Amino acid sequence: MNFVKRAWLNLWARKGRSALLILVTAAIMLFVLAGLLLRSAANTAVANAKSSVGATLTLSANREAAFKKMREQMEDQSQDSDSDSKTTPTRPSLTMTPVKLSDAEKIAKLSGIESYNVSVSTSANASGFDAIETSTGTSIMQGGGGFGGKGGFEDNSGDITISGVSSTAGATAFSDGTNTITKGRGLTSDDIGTINVVVETELAKQNDLAVGDTIKLKSLKTDDAAAKSYTVTIVGIYKAKSSSTAQMGPGASDPANTIFTSYSFANTLKGSDAKNTADSVIFTVSTPSKVDSVQKAAKKLINTSKFSIDSNDASYQMVKASMSSVTSFADKIVWLVAIAGTIILALIVILMIRERRFEIGVLLALGERRGKIIAQFFCELLVVLLVAIGLSSAGGQFVGDKLGEQVVASAQTSTTSNSQGGFTRGGGQAPSGEQGQGAPSGQMPGNMGGRTSSQAAMQKQAKLSTRITLKDVGLLTVFGLAIILIAITAGAAGILRLQPKKVLIGS
Amino acid sequence: MLETKDLSYWYTNKDDYLFKDLDLTFDAGISYAIVGESGTGKTTLISLLAGLDKPRAGKILFRGEDIQASGLSNFRRHHVSIVFQAYNLFTYMSALENLMTALSITHSSHNGDRQYAMQMLSKLGLTEEQMKQNVQRLSGGQQRRVAIARAMVCDAPLVVADEPTGNLDEANSDEVMALFNQLAHDQGKCVIIVTHDAAGAAKCDAVLRLKHRELTWQKQPPVPAMVD
Repeated sequence: MNFVKRAWLNLWARKGRSALLILVTAAIMLFVLAGLLLRSAANTAVANAKSSVGATLTLSANREAAFKKMREQMEDQSQDSDSDSKTTPTRPSLTMTPVKLSDAEKIAKLSGIESYNVSVSTSANASGFDAIETSTGTSIMQGGGGFGGKGGFEDNSGDITISGVSSTAGATAFSDGTNTITKGRGLTSDDIGTINVVVETELAKQNDLAVGDTIKLKSLKTDDAAAKSYTVTIVGIYKAKSSSTAQMGPGASDPANTIFTSYSFANTLKGSDAKNTADSVIFTVSTPSKVDSVQKAAKKLINTSKFSIDSNDASYQMVKASMSSVTSFADKIVWLVAIAGTIILALIVILMIRERRFEIGVLLALGERRGKIIAQFFCELLVVLLVAIGLSSAGGQFVGDKLGEQVVASAQTSTTSNSQGGFTRGGGQAPSGEQGQGAPSGQMPGNMGGRTSSQAAMQKQAKLSTRITLKDVGLLTVFGLAIILIAITAGAAGILRLQPKKVLIGS
Repeated sequence: MLETKDLSYWYTNKDDYLFKDLDLTFDAGISYAIVGESGTGKTTLISLLAGLDKPRAGKILFRGEDIQASGLSNFRRHHVSIVFQAYNLFTYMSALENLMTALSITHSSHNGDRQYAMQMLSKLGLTEEQMKQNVQRLSGGQQRRVAIARAMVCDAPLVVADEPTGNLDEANSDEVMALFNQLAHDQGKCVIIVTHDAAGAAKCDAVLRLKHRELTWQKQPPVPAMVD
């Protein structure tokens, strides 16, 4: 009868003790597994985020360069006025060069660019229908679209905000769920060059407008051209969520006054100079982790003194930061439980060896090798471990799910609160990652929808998918083996030191 | 078979020895009893002869070889069977499994032979049902028989027993001593028994008395038969 059979006989004969040992080991393994599951789920979530939570590049006018140029002009004028006191200095204006669509098309051909959406913002006056008027200075702020690229309000704005897009589905305000089409259809690339529009529900209700109706929009009068009236066709009605509230400056238009058109029509309203241009173009990068290399390649295709191309992988970074804290927590669980489990099992083994010193003494007296006695204890614990792994695998899913919910909720609260802080401070900056961790904060030129988009992305990750795989069970077995090996090693000292004479003779 | 050369033992102080410079010879086919008062060192002597402890000075030779040279564990595994006063059976096993374990550890020629083990137990009066019961369910006398059977099944030529008749009535004590004599005479083993029981000791072929640190023959061993 070899040591394996002795181990089995011992476990079978002492069923109660074996059951207790299995329960203790199963409890240890359960928490190790929960930690491993959380860790694995968090890693999967980050990997999924790379493909599902898109990163974008935004091509727009280089505001920094424009401001610099304006400051230089002011300094030049100031010097001129010092030398020639008769000259009356005129205040230089901020000149933003609109993005050329040809540049955008070049960038769109880069590998890694999935799609792009052109954004043109302007305003017009309602003709034959009434815009919604807000009686107080405070109004509901729209999550996206309305003021892209402007960063403020024009003095000569009309009562209707025109948001020209390539397609409504690609516009942030629609993709993040802030706006939803309730009637008719959204704008598609087929609408480029047409005069089809999508209006907000409240505006439609106030003016008894329905899909198929036509309305008139009057372009703003400029120095070069007189106001011109255009009859447009309503192809869809959208509903804007009013959950996102913020203080808006005086003179701001109600969000319901935003009418979505194709960017070509928005350019028409802007004037002939705006033809084939855009305020900004947002490119969706297929793999967020490659956003930097795509950005680098895109920069080579544009005049960086006039245009800037900024990355916005805030959603990805936010998910990554959130999951990083989950991973960190899971790692701590795994190691703490593993260490505590090792100590507990080591103590149990030491007690077990003390309790069975007569048996060990007899084995030694019969001439059994100490190594084989240790191997017998190892076999006993191995059987216990295998049963415990089976039990913990059955319960690990449940514990992992519950723990995952708690941890993700806590991580999201922490990340969101940090990101909101970053948003307030940064103004036009994208939400930053966890404070002090150096997470990048991508610039979001004039697009306030980014925050909502990030939160939507976070919500997508709100439930960690903890699923037990063979790999998890394998890893758990490795952990378990390491734990029992250390525990046995600690307990083996008792076997190695034991002198059979002291135990057996004269007892 | 077994010899001691200048065997000495003390605990802490060399001058306060238990025995000193013992020269003894134990032959096969003879049963030996070591008797003496409590504390005279009988158990220590037997533990040295069984390879459970190392002498402080001198050496023990088995078939002319120092038992420490080949390793005490190896000596116990192949050459000695020990019967303990407290039986020291594996309590989570049946009587049969106890014997099978001993056969396996000692690499006996009968390793794995259940029939042989059952025959031995049967010879010692255990029924088949009792053989398969957990040893804790057997009576003290039955457990003692199992312990003796465990020593008998192994191929070891030397059998060492520490107070094998302790707490036994006279009838049982006689029966046990008869078994040991049977081991020596029928199987040709060298049997060394430590006992308090003077009557039991008298049944052995030779009796050694340990008194005042001196070991003297109370009953001289018979001259072993010459083997061709």
